[in-house]
Amino acid sequence: MTSIQFENVSKSYGGVLAVDQVSFDVPDNAFFCFFGPPLSGKSTILKLILGLETPDSGEIFFDGRPMRDVSSPDRNVAMVFQNLALFPHMTALENVRFPLVERNIDEATIKARVAEVTDKLHMAHILHKPPSQLSGGERQRVAIARALVRDPVAYLMDDPISALDARLREETRVELRRMQQDMAKTLIYVTHDQEEAMSVSDQMLILEEGRVCQIGAPHDLYDAPNSTYVASMLGSPAMNMASAAEVIGALAKTPDINQSTSVVGIRPEHLTVACKDGPGRVTGIEPLGATTILSIEAAGVAWKAALRGQPEHSIGAPVELSVDPGALHCFDAQGKALSAA
Amino acid sequence: MTEVTTLMPATKKAETQANSAARLGLWLTLPAQLLVLFIALFPILMQVYISLTDWSPLDGIPWWRAYELWIGLLNYTDLMADSRFWGALWRTLFVMLVCVPVQFLLGLGLAVLFVDDFRGKRVLYSTLLVPMMVVPAVAGYMFFMLFQSGGPVNDLLSFFTSEPVRIAWLSDPDLALIAVMVADIWQWTPLMFLILLAGMISVPQDQQMAAILLGASWWRRFFTIVLPRMKSIIIIALAIRVIEIFKIFDTLFIMTGGGPGVATETISVYIYKVTQQELIWSYVAAIALAILIVLSVVSVFAIKRMQRGQDG
Amino acid sequence: MSEIALENLGKSFGDFTALADMNLTIANGEFMALLGPSGCGKSTTMNMIAGMLRPSSGTIKFNGLDVVDVPMAKRGVGFVFQNYAIFTHMSVRENLAYGLRAQGVRAGEMTKRVQAFAELLQLEPMLDRPAAGLSVNILQRLAIGRSAILEPAIFLLDEPLSNVDAAFRAVMRSELKSLQGQFGQTMVYVTHDQLEAMTMADRIAVMDHGKLLQVGTPLEIYNNPADTFVARFIGAPGMNILNGRLTQQADTVAVDLPGLGSVALPPALQAAAARLTTPDVLVGFRPEQINAAKAGLTMHVGFVERIGARTIVHMEQGAASAKAVLLSEVETPKARKDWTFAVPDDAIRLLDPVTGQALVGRPN
Repeated sequence: MTSIQFENVSKSYGGVLAVDQVSFDVPDNAFFCFFGPPLSGKSTILKLILGLETPDSGEIFFDGRPMRDVSSPDRNVAMVFQNLALFPHMTALENVRFPLVERNIDEATIKARVAEVTDKLHMAHILHKPPSQLSGGERQRVAIARALVRDPVAYLMDDPISALDARLREETRVELRRMQQDMAKTLIYVTHDQEEAMSVSDQMLILEEGRVCQIGAPHDLYDAPNSTYVASMLGSPAMNMASAAEVIGALAKTPDINQSTSVVGIRPEHLTVACKDGPGRVTGIEPLGATTILSIEAAGVAWKAALRGQPEHSIGAPVELSVDPGALHCFDAQGKALSAA
Repeated sequence: MTEVTTLMPATKKAETQANSAARLGLWLTLPAQLLVLFIALFPILMQVYISLTDWSPLDGIPWWRAYELWIGLLNYTDLMADSRFWGALWRTLFVMLVCVPVQFLLGLGLAVLFVDDFRGKRVLYSTLLVPMMVVPAVAGYMFFMLFQSGGPVNDLLSFFTSEPVRIAWLSDPDLALIAVMVADIWQWTPLMFLILLAGMISVPQDQQMAAILLGASWWRRFFTIVLPRMKSIIIIALAIRVIEIFKIFDTLFIMTGGGPGVATETISVYIYKVTQQELIWSYVAAIALAILIVLSVVSVFAIKRMQRGQDG
Repeated sequence: MSEIALENLGKSFGDFTALADMNLTIANGEFMALLGPSGCGKSTTMNMIAGMLRPSSGTIKFNGLDVVDVPMAKRGVGFVFQNYAIFTHMSVRENLAYGLRAQGVRAGEMTKRVQAFAELLQLEPMLDRPAAGLSVNILQRLAIGRSAILEPAIFLLDEPLSNVDAAFRAVMRSELKSLQGQFGQTMVYVTHDQLEAMTMADRIAVMDHGKLLQVGTPLEIYNNPADTFVARFIGAPGMNILNGRLTQQADTVAVDLPGLGSVALPPALQAAAARLTTPDVLVGFRPEQINAAKAGLTMHVGFVERIGARTIVHMEQGAASAKAVLLSEVETPKARKDWTFAVPDDAIRLLDPVTGQALVGRPN
């Protein structure tokens, strides 16, 4: 039950700014996700929250209380590391119990607390095993349980499920989301997987080279990215980007595009593809079952179109592209979003 | 503008806070740091000091008053002209140039054999490591017995040549050094083997698989994948042995006492004799410092090579 | 160019059977994905094709010739390792030339071929750079180029994208696919990611617990999964599978899903249903084929996961759980409320509740 605020926080290592004037506000009980490519400052922000690093400037607040002089253990923030950092010589149960045993809590409380957490995570059958005998997903559970059992004010997770199988990742992220809602705790999450980030979080913060690009609910960022950078980070396949002239050349009906527009973005799912003579040519088909991804060349640009279902198309065939004017994203020469064209 | 002006002092304040915290930390740890530095440096500084005097424990004055016998660099100029010192130094280098390569090649060969699994590997492995665990003094005594004129080595030679061999290994000036080197190779090849094996095991298996699938023969793989990837560990192993050979003493001293004459007198034996028998401590200090400098140069060279190996 | 035939292939390690009785023919020039969760036997199969493992039973034939006794260096197989196994102590050029040099190709010829491949793979600018510290897409290209330069008839790839950032995987996928187009070799690709298999492979072999469950084109497998495992494994999320009971309604058979409602069976499945001896049956339908409706099945919405263009609705009813995938434009159901949806006739699949096998009589 803690809100976390950053106020103009900067941190540099050897003259290189890792975090640059970052401000944000993680509300109580939010699932808050930091998203960005490697070295965009995600890990540094986690370290700053944990108190493992001190900001060069700016202030960090927990529930409005400045954290500058609060040591890392006193912040009572739990962390699940990317490599999980399980103790290999202990069983899963001993791993989960560890943070409580270290705090000299009485045995009955430990038992109750551990049972509560391990029940929630459905891990009774693996408790007696050492980490070496657990699968990737099971290790994940142990690490998360070990963080949960402490009952901290907030949890930090640094890309905790990236090592799992694709299928297990999909299940675990839903599980994580459920867990967070059950526990009613602030959870700060770092990932480089856009689908995972959009799936789990209440709010996302997109970082580029230590600076905040945009903060908001995932679908707001997806529907209204404030820059080409944010637009390109979310969505798979990524948003098509082309110059205004190219868009006019590629589309059947000339859309109305604002004069100052330099780049136009169109989400693959907003492109409509008609099988008739047009400026486009199909260069690739990826049938995924639920959707079909077409690669199309038109006006010298490679486009991706995501079509629902399994429509018939053939490579090399001419096609006509069209788009609902409301689905155009317009950006200026600096890559900043312009209000709808 | 207003935003900037209100922000600047906060930034400045934060920086000074961080700086002062760092400075306080430095002051608090200073005593401990000084103590560590003192412990590490004191013996060396004492050596430097003593080596510039003519002090000996027989002079009846405490070591710290050795400045009364100040002789400047005289010990060092003496050292330059000391043929016994140079003889011992060259002898040590000779032992090094023979023993280290032999130990390396034997160790490498054994490592190649032991990197794959075979029946009885564990027993053989433990047996091979036994020489390393034998106390050097005991090893010295063992080889002293082995190389007696009526000892097993001569018996073995007699058996192969079918005529009685009575070589006086340890009292022949040329053969004594060979006997000493055999003992050193026997005792320290296992260490080389152990280090090289560890290095060889750490060469990634998939790299070797990839090379096999690209059609590389065993030798090609060994020279293009295994050895280059072991470079750092090879340099460490060689450096350890080179430094150890400078310190070669106990086994040798028991076998030959440095003799006959000075035939097996290495640097360490020479230093021991000067200290214990001739009691010229200040001179010993000078020798020790000279050796330290030589070894430092070797280590720096090895570390440089290693860093280059990691970059490349 | 080579055809690979696996005949009754099996491998066990002590008591553990890693692969049992696998029969699969991979056609010349085909891109075949071996897909399954970890421990399903896909890597074991691949390692046997490469010659790193010896089969416990069965044979492997390349173009009709048994290769079980051919050592791996002689099989002419290109292998791309999960971590690429690039020789990081060498330059890019030395990596590319390694195989040629090992096979004693003349220096002039070698330089020419390395140059040609460097151009093809756009590795020219970094030819003389050390291979350590290159970015992962360059490493992938180098790993493929290093094998491809020997012109192997068969290319094996062992989860080459599993260490790649999610954001970058799409780029790497299309690059890999276009490389295969250029070289035209038979490719066997091991992966646990159904998306990779669906987007790249000509055909997919789905495996689990050492058994081959189904082989087919991506759409065949997606549309008509052979059993419950394949049905759940393919698709993101996988197929919904619910317990149902066949009920006779007038002259047609319908399936009653306890607590949810009932669905009418399409004519094509009526006959298959009639052949069943017990009324218990499993009903499968894809989450993305569900539409909101006035009447149909009703479930309780647990929570709603919106991911860009689509929304996944997680639903429960008693012991049953199901998912629906809706386009974001469509009005999404409210969490913690009941939601009624319809499953189109042709989306319904029936599976045997005991064996898990799909019941024949598929609608299309």
